[in-house]
Amino acid sequence: MNRLLSDTLSFGRQYLRTKLGPFFSFIFPVLLIVLFGAVFSTSDSGGLSLPIQNLDEGEYSAALMNMLNQTGYFEISMVEGNGDIADYVNDNSLPLALRIPSDFSANITASLPATVTLCGDTSRSTFQTAQGILDAVMNQMNYNLTGASPIVSFEVEFAGSEQFTAYDFLLPGFVGLTVMISTMYFMTSICAEHRSRGYFKLLATTTLKKSEWLTSKFLSNSAMLLGSLFATFAVAMTAFDLKAILTPLSLVLVVAGAFMFTSLGMLLGVVVKDPESGIAISNIIGFPMMFLSGSFWDLDASPAYIQMISKAMPLTYLNEGLRDTMVYGNEVGALTNLMVVVVLGFVFFLLASRSMSWKER
Amino acid sequence: MVGPVVEVTDLRKEYPPDTMAVDGVSFSIEEGTVFSILGPNGAGKTTTVEILEGLRTPTSGSVSILGTDTSKGYHQVRKRVGVLPQNFEPFDLLSPFEAVGYWADLFEMKMDRKDIESALELVGLGERMRVMSKTLSGGEKRKLGIALSMVNSPELLFLDEPTTGLDPRARRDLWRLIEETKKRGATVVLTTHYLDEAEKLADDVAIMHRGKIIAQGSPDELVSRHGKKTSIVLVGAGPEGFRELSRRGITAVERNGDVIVTVDDSSELRHMFAKLSSIEVNYREMYSRRETLEDVFLSLIGARMDDGVLQE
Repeated sequence: MNRLLSDTLSFGRQYLRTKLGPFFSFIFPVLLIVLFGAVFSTSDSGGLSLPIQNLDEGEYSAALMNMLNQTGYFEISMVEGNGDIADYVNDNSLPLALRIPSDFSANITASLPATVTLCGDTSRSTFQTAQGILDAVMNQMNYNLTGASPIVSFEVEFAGSEQFTAYDFLLPGFVGLTVMISTMYFMTSICAEHRSRGYFKLLATTTLKKSEWLTSKFLSNSAMLLGSLFATFAVAMTAFDLKAILTPLSLVLVVAGAFMFTSLGMLLGVVVKDPESGIAISNIIGFPMMFLSGSFWDLDASPAYIQMISKAMPLTYLNEGLRDTMVYGNEVGALTNLMVVVVLGFVFFLLASRSMSWKER
Repeated sequence: MVGPVVEVTDLRKEYPPDTMAVDGVSFSIEEGTVFSILGPNGAGKTTTVEILEGLRTPTSGSVSILGTDTSKGYHQVRKRVGVLPQNFEPFDLLSPFEAVGYWADLFEMKMDRKDIESALELVGLGERMRVMSKTLSGGEKRKLGIALSMVNSPELLFLDEPTTGLDPRARRDLWRLIEETKKRGATVVLTTHYLDEAEKLADDVAIMHRGKIIAQGSPDELVSRHGKKTSIVLVGAGPEGFRELSRRGITAVERNGDVIVTVDDSSELRHMFAKLSSIEVNYREMYSRRETLEDVFLSLIGARMDDGVLQE
């Protein structure tokens, strides 16, 4: 058998026999899909829990509660008694609660300002969401009371071909993350193991070339990641209402990503001496990439400096390319990101093959 | 082939700032011979052998392997060379059968199932060829390393401590394998710390100490050139016997509980026997023997053996 093919098959065989390899390639992405799919599934959403202390017995407080209920975003419960609402929130570790004062209806009838209190931890995202909805409900109530209607407003028009969910947005990020973890982390530790156990020296006594060894790792990783991608998609399509699609360009991007991160893993492997330092160095590089490359959330909402940092992360381009082709159908954007991934892959590959030595100095 | 299989000239390997691991070593190895390098730990054996294997770069000097200057590219001869490294570790998640097949592919050798099975049976791994290599014992791992080093039927075979961890029977089997390898015309470079092994197998022995070759020749030549003619061994005489002989002005050494008296001239042997018999020393038996390669080796490097462990 050809040297390259034999090394590819031999590496693949050993990879599948490790405990960690198949976990990170096949089980990890499926777990992510199932867990996040369950979290973002909207079919049985219970909405935000909103305890209300209504001290008013008038018709306007009842109308306000009715309007809040009709939004469908809140699960309303009543707070008994007239104790301090802030104490109630703290004592029950709640994110928020609403207090309607006893003079709420009377003040509206007298055309005086009527103010409700939203109490809670303002730093929590649930509080901010509730605040936005409450604000909209209050505006609507003001219009109703004054008999006015909004003059300036906006409407939402969907620009894509299908109505995507947050789940569709997340899926390409998980694929990108799996590509990075299964290749970069694994290759760094493989290099460390090869060095500490003398495998590089052993291979140097054969006719296998260094570039062939590097290429065979890329081929093995690509084959396994394509398998992982199909498995992940099959689970996602079966379990959830998936609208993101598997395009030919997404397959090319996965292979290009495998090339880029396999090469980066080997480059990191050049400096590691043992498996422990391999784990440490891949975490130093990989951990920030997990969170700052748009795998879990949209970076457009992040501060400008985070967006700048994300541009220096190779995973960002893989994630964006996958999202472009799988979700938005933006093939030009996907091709641009693919080019960046391929160029970075070649740079890492050349640096790794030049700096990696199987011999002792 | 015409000329030596290995030719080494003024080889040096320096590790900055001040360690000269190999210091001006020169030797040549003829085709179809077993060449053994002996020396205590840190003598420079493994560094020298790894330079010959193309796994280390020398600081200066020249190395020619199978007629090719290694500084111009070892790849030209790689296919004709087999190597068993000193601390060989097999790939844990491949079986010996898979490993030999894989290794044969890396040398572009065609080996079918039967060839692989024969190669493993030859080193005594026939029964264990399908288990994962991580379950092999130390000796079995060594056997697998030997099988891998021979998949390409090498013209030049480097065996770095091949019998470490092997039981006596496996050791003898390997000796037979080395002799057969030599018979088919291959050249073997054997690094070992078992001196009896070198004495039995090697045609040529180089003794290294502190980076230099301090003696070279066949085992017989080395013994006759550097060995004292005869020794008288007082078995079990111990430290008391050693002290008693010293008190009477007889030069002796104590080794593993025995006291050894060397006699430079064989005509003195009878006289020395009589002298020793008259001294009140407790011993189990007394006999004379010709010095071995081990005695020569120890005397050259100024060391002694204690319970099989080299003490410098």
